[in-house]
Amino acid sequence: MPDVIVIGAGLHGLVTAAYLARGGRRVVVLERRELVGGTAVTEEIAPGFRCDTVQHDVGWLPRRIAADLELGGVELIRTDPAVVTPLGHGRALQLSTDPTRSTHAIRALSPADAARWPEFHERMTRLASFLEALYGEPAVQPLRTAPGDLLTLLRHVLRFRRLGRRGMVNLLRILPMSVAELLDDWFQSDALKGTLAAGAVAGNLLGPRSGGTAFGLLHHLVGNGTFRSRTLVRGGVGTLALALAAAARRYGAEIRTGADVTRILVKEGRVTGVVLASGDEVLAATVVSAADPRRTLLGLVEPIHLDPDVVEAVRHIRFRGPVAKVNLALAELPRFAGLSGDAAALRATVSISPSLDYLERAYDDAKHGGWSRQPYCEVRIPTLHDPALAPPGKHVMSVLVQYAPYHLSGGWTTAQRDALGNAVVATLAEHAPNVPGAMLHRQVLTPKDLEETFGLTEGSLYHGELSLDQILFMRPVPGWSRYRTPLDGLYLCGPGTHPGGGIAGLAGYNAARTILQETKGS
Amino acid sequence: MPPTPRYDAIVIGGGHNGLVHAAYLARAGKRVVVLERRPRVGGAAVTEEIFPGFKFSMFSYVVSLLRPEIIRDLDLPGHGLDILPLESTLTPLPNGDHLAMWSDHDRTRRELCRHSPRDAEAYDEFGRLMHHMAMAVKPILGMVPPDPTSLSPGDLMGLARLGRHFHGLGERNFHALFKLMTMSSADFLDEWFEFDGLKATKAASGIIGTFLGPRSPGTAYVLLHHYMGEIDGAFRAWGFAKGGTGAISESIAAAARTLGAEIRTDAPVAKVLVQGGHATGVALENGDELHAPVVVSGLDPRRTFLQLVEEKELPAEFVADIRRYKFRGSSGKVNLALSELPDFTCLPGVGPHLRGAVSISPTLAYVERAYDDAKYGEFSRHPYMDIVIPSMIDPGMAPPGKHVMSIFVQYAPYHLNGGWDDAKREAFGDAVVDTLAEYAPNIKSAIIGRQVLTPADIERITGLSEGNIFQGELALHQLFFFRPAPAWAKYRSPVRGLYQCGSGTHPGGGIMGASGRLAALQVLKDRR
Repeated sequence: MPDVIVIGAGLHGLVTAAYLARGGRRVVVLERRELVGGTAVTEEIAPGFRCDTVQHDVGWLPRRIAADLELGGVELIRTDPAVVTPLGHGRALQLSTDPTRSTHAIRALSPADAARWPEFHERMTRLASFLEALYGEPAVQPLRTAPGDLLTLLRHVLRFRRLGRRGMVNLLRILPMSVAELLDDWFQSDALKGTLAAGAVAGNLLGPRSGGTAFGLLHHLVGNGTFRSRTLVRGGVGTLALALAAAARRYGAEIRTGADVTRILVKEGRVTGVVLASGDEVLAATVVSAADPRRTLLGLVEPIHLDPDVVEAVRHIRFRGPVAKVNLALAELPRFAGLSGDAAALRATVSISPSLDYLERAYDDAKHGGWSRQPYCEVRIPTLHDPALAPPGKHVMSVLVQYAPYHLSGGWTTAQRDALGNAVVATLAEHAPNVPGAMLHRQVLTPKDLEETFGLTEGSLYHGELSLDQILFMRPVPGWSRYRTPLDGLYLCGPGTHPGGGIAGLAGYNAARTILQETKGS
Repeated sequence: MPPTPRYDAIVIGGGHNGLVHAAYLARAGKRVVVLERRPRVGGAAVTEEIFPGFKFSMFSYVVSLLRPEIIRDLDLPGHGLDILPLESTLTPLPNGDHLAMWSDHDRTRRELCRHSPRDAEAYDEFGRLMHHMAMAVKPILGMVPPDPTSLSPGDLMGLARLGRHFHGLGERNFHALFKLMTMSSADFLDEWFEFDGLKATKAASGIIGTFLGPRSPGTAYVLLHHYMGEIDGAFRAWGFAKGGTGAISESIAAAARTLGAEIRTDAPVAKVLVQGGHATGVALENGDELHAPVVVSGLDPRRTFLQLVEEKELPAEFVADIRRYKFRGSSGKVNLALSELPDFTCLPGVGPHLRGAVSISPTLAYVERAYDDAKYGEFSRHPYMDIVIPSMIDPGMAPPGKHVMSIFVQYAPYHLNGGWDDAKREAFGDAVVDTLAEYAPNIKSAIIGRQVLTPADIERITGLSEGNIFQGELALHQLFFFRPAPAWAKYRSPVRGLYQCGSGTHPGGGIMGASGRLAALQVLKDRR
């Protein structure tokens, strides 16, 4: 009998399992699909073409996790430039991982903005590093007065004070702002503001003029060093999942795929194990779920075991996934106007986000129940990092599309999915006219598809919106931010918990440390 | 030898906060003079006879937030203040039906039941929660905000007091308050209700004075802000002042005069005089100078610090903060003189519903779309409107048989594409009347006179920057210790002896008077 069952072999589940196994626990991971990785999988989308099915980067993978779990074999990539925004007429804005290079690029658009860039970059990076410290451990509940809680709180207060008066003011002031207001305070260039804001609204059904979105800008800056920079994986994100699975196994964990957990067993307020779709039971005193909090607490646990207030709070978590995924198999490399011949630019993230208004109008469509007719697209060409993903000379293109609201007026149908796919291809064609002609195959995943295939409630990649009322001590639900749940022995470890999505494995790492402290091995 | 000042304090601006401030200083025995640019006191709380025989609360039109301690301390009823309760809110619905909410709890419940029994059930509990939340916030509104970045004993004590206060709320209420501070009113209401008309009407109070739509985080707090009103201790009640909102200003002015304050109208201040970092008085536009060791501005922060004070007297960082402080006026006002009462198709005839407010907020999407227009620099083609007919409650406001109608309209962006001009003002007025006519078709033929006030007009007449009725947006990053600028939220300013007392300071807008009072307490404490 294992000590711990981990439900779900996404990156967080695997990280949790690996740490628990490394800490001497007997761990079994149960994954519903036939392959590990959750939304970090690289699959064949057409014969001979492999692509990152959903997530096409791992955001920020904390160095500590890679080192602890000895993931040296995985090749992690930070592109430079980090992001390229095509602006039409052969122009583009490139933001580099080197702020000085970015300053040069910005100068071509606005000398005034270029002059302010270094200070902006420095200030935001400082604030992000404060968040980074908060993210590296369980979130403290501000009103709890146990000595441990008070000590942690005090540490955070001291760290906050170290930001200096201006830094403290900036942090408090910026968090509730809209990213548009923040950027308007600093910059004039539409292209620069659009490029930065796109990274801030990622994953949320909010527009750049919605309050609280400035937090998103900081959240995605944490650990990444510069705006819009992400960790890519050579060979696709699935490679990292496989490496994590190998690490977990190396430490002794057992990973079963095709093992669909349908129920968590509870006896007198304590979990005792899980039941699989096959009817088999797996028993253990500790169950850790990497599934999202609603799926875990309302889907896998019978409501009778939970306090109605908790059930209510879990119901109130906002998921409403706004992201669709479009994967294309291409006969040739897309030719973006102004970027042809710039191999480095094409290896970066190509961001279709020319202005704040562009993003806001894309959001307007979604806010009123439709998908964006002109969506924000985050484009990658994984074959430029690993040609083996496609037949020689051919390419795959991976596009995260926002906004495609889960709650579409009239619901998602095949016709709606196709229409969305057409809109995305048309939007891409405005910047890379050869894309429609080069297209050999197209895969479109709506938020509904993401829910059905990957078990994401409402298709939310982050397992719940990353908005101010759903972070830190409010995530996943107020009062239960420390990976524990009201049921003894049941823990959560996915991005639905602190510190949330876009950061590979950190929630899983924090959860594993908590569990190792709170449970005994056999 | 400089001349001995005749005054202990000069108050710039005779708006309600300036008047409250002056009254409190006078009450403490200080010699105070209030200098008002216009021929009458009141600022944005004025009653004017715009058309012969028709009197209007020209800008602000209802009252609920006026602090009860001010009413008591200054004996405002004794100086003519008479608040008449507003009994109901009527929302015409898209299907021709209506939602009517009454001050009579049971009646509201029956009405809600007609639309959604579930919501009728939830409504009581929602009311209780909002009451708890308002009680939780009330002490904060009544305190001078401590500076969280400072280590001074006073600030640390203030923070400790705040910490104790939150701790006393208990975790459950603390979390609820945190959600209210950070969520959108639409999301917050979605957790409670299903009936769109109810959510839209409630959410509408979360957008007032902001440049945000009901789906934008930050609006739930504004919703709470508007829940905090009290009349005679009864939460959530809104009312009219007999004689219009100008009568409120008049009663405060009367109280201030009784306590010994001097009030001068037609006395526009051109400049705050500063010597060696100390305010020494003011220069009027006619060149006269008045001297006092304390100068208090009831004007908004931009006017005070960027127009009346020379930039060289202020730290650059402070100037940058004030420049960044956001106004973005988003509302207009339409005042109508009517030959007859409006006849709403959803509830025909003359009835008690005309003694209350009428809210044109049929659905959440309607209000959100109104915002969408403004976001891109246009006024709402179908705006949110909050309508009252003061002559129904106070017949003295209009000639016999005739009526005055006050329409608060949002959104009308100050920064309109191409700017505001006469043609745009009329087009905006037409959009308002056309929209209203969809619900009350007789309105067009009943109009005898129409006054349309755009944010540009509000700015021109009252001096409120960008026409923002709250002297700055009520956004989370502009509240409490950020209002109007970090480290300067305690009514003081970088110029010694120069204070601020307008609603551009904590706790902000509405006819509340709290800023004026708290600023007076601060001045008196500093000058002890």
